[in-house]
Amino acid sequence: MTVYKLQKSALPKFLESLKKGSQVFAPVKRDVIRFEPLGNPADVDLSANSYFPLKEYFFPPKEVLFHFSKKGVSAPVKRAEKRIFFGVRRCDLAAIQRQDLVFIKQQKDPYYAKRRENSLLIGYHCNTPPSSYCFCGSMGLEDFYDLMFFDRGSHFLVHAKTAAGQSLAKNKFFNKTPRKITDKERRIRTRALKKDISQLYNNKGWKPLAKRCLSCAACTELCPTCYCYEIRDEPSIEGPYKGKRCRSWSSCQLKDFTRVAEGHVFREKREERFKHRIYHQIQYFKERNKINLCTGCGRCVAGCPARIDWVKAVNRMKK
Amino acid sequence: MKSKLVPRKVKVLDVQQEAPDISTLTLDCHSRCVPGQFVQVSLLGVGECPLSIASHSEKYMKLTVQGVGTVTKALCKLKKGDHLYIRGPYGKGYPLKKYRGSSLILVGAGCGVAALKSVIDYVESHRKDYKDVFLFFGYRYAKSIAYKKQATEWKKKFNLRIALSREKTKSCLQWDQGHVTDLLKKEKLGPEKTAAFVCGPLRMINDTVKILKKKGFADTQIYMATERLMYCGTGACCHCMIRGKLACTDGPVFRFDEIGYYGND
Repeated sequence: MTVYKLQKSALPKFLESLKKGSQVFAPVKRDVIRFEPLGNPADVDLSANSYFPLKEYFFPPKEVLFHFSKKGVSAPVKRAEKRIFFGVRRCDLAAIQRQDLVFIKQQKDPYYAKRRENSLLIGYHCNTPPSSYCFCGSMGLEDFYDLMFFDRGSHFLVHAKTAAGQSLAKNKFFNKTPRKITDKERRIRTRALKKDISQLYNNKGWKPLAKRCLSCAACTELCPTCYCYEIRDEPSIEGPYKGKRCRSWSSCQLKDFTRVAEGHVFREKREERFKHRIYHQIQYFKERNKINLCTGCGRCVAGCPARIDWVKAVNRMKK
Repeated sequence: MKSKLVPRKVKVLDVQQEAPDISTLTLDCHSRCVPGQFVQVSLLGVGECPLSIASHSEKYMKLTVQGVGTVTKALCKLKKGDHLYIRGPYGKGYPLKKYRGSSLILVGAGCGVAALKSVIDYVESHRKDYKDVFLFFGYRYAKSIAYKKQATEWKKKFNLRIALSREKTKSCLQWDQGHVTDLLKKEKLGPEKTAAFVCGPLRMINDTVKILKKKGFADTQIYMATERLMYCGTGACCHCMIRGKLACTDGPVFRFDEIGYYGND
């Protein structure tokens, strides 16, 4: 589709114009860079990737599935709000694509689908990897966005991929250019995950990694794609017949993830739990859906208190 | 889009005490299901748990519950006329249609017998389709034998053997002493035109598979039902993942070669 040109000085005005009629979210520097409802467009910080992924806006850490009372159950009816997300990196865009695959295509999950329905995604292409832990270049990511901003120094080149993106680009700030975005420009040069781990399950290299792991679950909380959840009932204080059933994120790094009645834990060993996450990300999901679940954002390494760089370790593993 | 996670209300028609902590609930539920499938049963305010269906009928649904966890303990306290909520049935069951005209070996231990009961119900209603049916069940004590009433009937119709692993008194006389795998070892069983359906605890499943393989059974003739923590039942929450396979949608019944030995990973 069409390519547009936007002067960098016009970016705040463009973001301001987006705010009319919809809520705009953009990465803002607070304690860390995080996505927030946009206040002043000058606050937008594109210098590094956001510390937290976009996941929580579509798949919140905790949400109500339904309320119940003596009369029965009633699922909450949500309105699909119009939301625009600006400055989303390629890894996070791909992560939304994967979550769409799970929650919309496979599960037909109305809670997630409602949140995604009126959301527009405006990407920001990394010219250089924003962190040394990134490895998206080797994860085979596809293009998934409405608009994508390519940083060209004094101006942005904006590529519109969808009809919704196209209509968003029809404003006074954008000028059409005949330029094409080449594949070379789309490539991000990062480090790579070089090994196929399917034959490495019993490798000795996992042990030192698991030994350093604290089972704190920071990796799964920061992961843009981790979609495992648990469901719990929350009775109201008014009585046992009233309350709500909620689903919340859960982490495969915790023992409770596989604890069944009578207390048996299937993945008792830390190494098993550690490996399970990596295998789910880059093997199990691929067997099922032909694409990696992991998008190579590197947050699980950057956010790990023990800095377990599993990508480096896997690359070093020998058969 | 309607959420798959919202359950429907179902009436309890009857409650039968099978053993001190095991009861069978008969529900006013008319779902068509394959033997071996499970439902997500919930008590609002308490929680949800997966239970295998222990019957094969479109008129009612039976669930056998052992009170071990929060939800199952609460389920055991239900009385006739109470209500509970269910979702499902979910999962793949035992491939009974594929093995029409063959013999069946059912090996179950503890609560695992509940899942096999649906197979027995199916075979009873299609008795002509199957040749010999061997039932090997294992329990800890004589008092914990589930389906005592049905057992006398099954003894007439099929080859039923029950092993009691922790019973030392004379009440054991009617049945054998030891583990269910001991019975299996002694029995002369051939792999020709036979399928083995196994359901029970992790170690018992693996031991049974080893014995069956020694007897010449191929990997593709052995089917095992697996157990995991489950929340959604529809393949999203991933708690039930066994080496990339999901016990809720790919299972809970797996052919042995699909996941191999049932492990902790």
